[in-house]
Amino acid sequence: MPGSTDKQKPALAFRGVSAGYKGRPVLQEVDFSIAEGEFVSVIGPNGSGKSTMLKTATGLIKPAQGRVELFGREVSSLKARDRASLIGVVPQKLESPMAFTVAEIVMLGRSSRGGWGGADSKDYDSAERAMIYTNVFDLKDRLFNELSAGEQQRTALAMALAQEPRIIMLDESIAHLDINHSQEVLRILMNINREQKITVLLVSHDLNLAAQIADRLMLMDRGQLVCKGSPGEVMQEELLSRVYDCDLHVRRDPYSGNPVVSGALDMALRRTSVHKRLHVISGGGSGIELFRRLLIEGFDLSAGVLNRLDSDAEAARALDIACVLEQPFSAVGRQAFEEARSMVERADGVIVGLVPIGSGNLINLQLASDALKAGKPVWMAAGIADRDYTTDGAAGAMALQLRSAGAKEWSGIHELMALLKQDVSK
Amino acid sequence: MSLPPKARISGGDGCRPFPAKASPNRRRALLFIVAVPVLLGLSLLLGPSGIGLPDMTASSGQAIFSLRLGRFFMGMMVGAALSTSGTVFQAILRNPLAEPYVLGVSGGAGLGAALSILVGGGLLGAVGLPLTAFFFALLTLMAVYGIANQGGVPSVYSLILSGVIVSSICSSVIMFLVSTADIDGMHTVVWWMLGNLQPGSWAEQAVSLLIIVCAIVGLWLLAPALNVLTLGREMAHYQGLNAGVVTISSLLLATLLAATAVSMGGMIGFVGLIVPHVMRALFGPDHRWLVPASALGGGTFLVLCDSIARTVMAPIEIPVGVVTALAGGPFFLIVLRRKMKYAWID
Repeated sequence: MPGSTDKQKPALAFRGVSAGYKGRPVLQEVDFSIAEGEFVSVIGPNGSGKSTMLKTATGLIKPAQGRVELFGREVSSLKARDRASLIGVVPQKLESPMAFTVAEIVMLGRSSRGGWGGADSKDYDSAERAMIYTNVFDLKDRLFNELSAGEQQRTALAMALAQEPRIIMLDESIAHLDINHSQEVLRILMNINREQKITVLLVSHDLNLAAQIADRLMLMDRGQLVCKGSPGEVMQEELLSRVYDCDLHVRRDPYSGNPVVSGALDMALRRTSVHKRLHVISGGGSGIELFRRLLIEGFDLSAGVLNRLDSDAEAARALDIACVLEQPFSAVGRQAFEEARSMVERADGVIVGLVPIGSGNLINLQLASDALKAGKPVWMAAGIADRDYTTDGAAGAMALQLRSAGAKEWSGIHELMALLKQDVSK
Repeated sequence: MSLPPKARISGGDGCRPFPAKASPNRRRALLFIVAVPVLLGLSLLLGPSGIGLPDMTASSGQAIFSLRLGRFFMGMMVGAALSTSGTVFQAILRNPLAEPYVLGVSGGAGLGAALSILVGGGLLGAVGLPLTAFFFALLTLMAVYGIANQGGVPSVYSLILSGVIVSSICSSVIMFLVSTADIDGMHTVVWWMLGNLQPGSWAEQAVSLLIIVCAIVGLWLLAPALNVLTLGREMAHYQGLNAGVVTISSLLLATLLAATAVSMGGMIGFVGLIVPHVMRALFGPDHRWLVPASALGGGTFLVLCDSIARTVMAPIEIPVGVVTALAGGPFFLIVLRRKMKYAWID
């Protein structure tokens, strides 16, 4: 019985493994072990050896050095059939040139169990359960090739599940799926992992997705395992920027707390600077689109006063915008206000976004008023009165005052852009 | 590992219990099983001496019938061998164009057979011709693979390209041999090359029959493995198959079949390419059905074509290869146009 290996042994262990193709070594001294029931994701840039590692783990490539152990037994010493009952692999894309139905494909997952005639009732049961689990049972009589990419990948997963393996490996199997399909496959994977304690090894080049679902990450670079650990430990700006050789930012997702990586593509999109600095008064998410558009137009920006943890504050940080911050959920204090005022002094104009104004941030409008007094233009989102959450209508009154002092009103980002073009180019 | 408990499925429309398909389309299978003996019987009634059963009371009638029977067996054997060989090449190379001719295997076998005829392979007796043909077919296959192999697994395109190249080299060498041969040898080789199902000696036929039956049975036993291999060699490995062993042994058996067919009947094209596709369109891609269906279908097709070849312009006999293409082509194209999605998907 191939399943009767020691429970204490790691599901998969690489011990000093070097491996590669003829005349092209890829993996160098790779060392790790994965416990049974873990959900591990292997990340790394293209050509870092992720797929080679997977092929070595499944015995498709024999290591030049070191040992690959599967539940305590060396992979190359396993019989092909025993190996298939331990590992199931979902390839990048399953291709069936011939017209097999979904049920036939899934039944091929039982081929290592049956004899020539194939299937007994146990095989059919297992295939059926795998199809129900992956939600392809209704498609069972459809031709595999006529399915959508997501349905094909679920079928491939069902085929691997029908092997009843103890570890499932996925080779970038969800990278090319639409978000709805990839989410569905991931949900199935997480269920498999949690409910059935099947170990999952997901090779992925989507860092965020890997960090979102895996217990542990393994980061590969040029054939070496450079970092392994929890998503928080591996997703370090400096490390990732070095491995991927580009400027990357890591921040925490405000909802899940997961680390999220983003590239600095926004910076590349920016036009050359117009050498004008604008100060943006926003909050509560009203500034994100403003920041983006203004940066693309080539303005230098500053922002504030914002509360820490406000989504605008996060956006400003991610976009490297100078920003004055106040404690979370607190009214804007004197010190922060003075800092912001000095920013406005350096700016060529002030933009007031679609921000709700309450007693806490009413003082921000004072910044706009100061700018007008200093002869700087102010562009104010129309309808402040509707967003006035002060008890005495102070914000609405302030807005009237600003308008009479020369602030221009805009509704909609296009109008703002048009105004800016007209005023700034003067 | 325990999967969640089996879901209850209430019987109803569209909710057939799994497995729903115990066998590929029963009606088509039945039609096929009825059609084969009818067509085979019909073919025995055709011949240059006229349509219908010859007068069995006369010794000439018996002779005519035994001649027809001889051709019948030749056709069955060669057709089955070519078609099964094509089925397997298509599965292993995962390519609808793969067949003994395209891969140069038939060309190599032809060269071996031509050499054997001209130089005289008599020293090995009845096995001489098929053996030489097999040896040369194997050499060609290895050459084709070697040329295509640029490290790693050769792509199907490079395999077919080098197959076409090697194939044309082989036919050039055959033409050279023919042009330098004496008039007798030339006649024999050219006649043989055109493709004909004139039975050889009983011993030759017995040896060929043995080889063909063994190879087809061998391939039939490999059918479940072939099914997995259609998903690619990597997937087959993941499914617990010794992909290399299966690939090599089935390629060897398929080559053996093609070589034997060529040594018996010469260069008969079309059967190995198109019959497997039609069988796949009719019966689906499961090789446990496909291998025997191809063997039976290929045999029947060739027997029928041969009967037509010797009847339509009697007493002149058209080379059977001409009929396979001219008569079979349009018919199969019609079938494939309607059913191609069940045969092959790209």
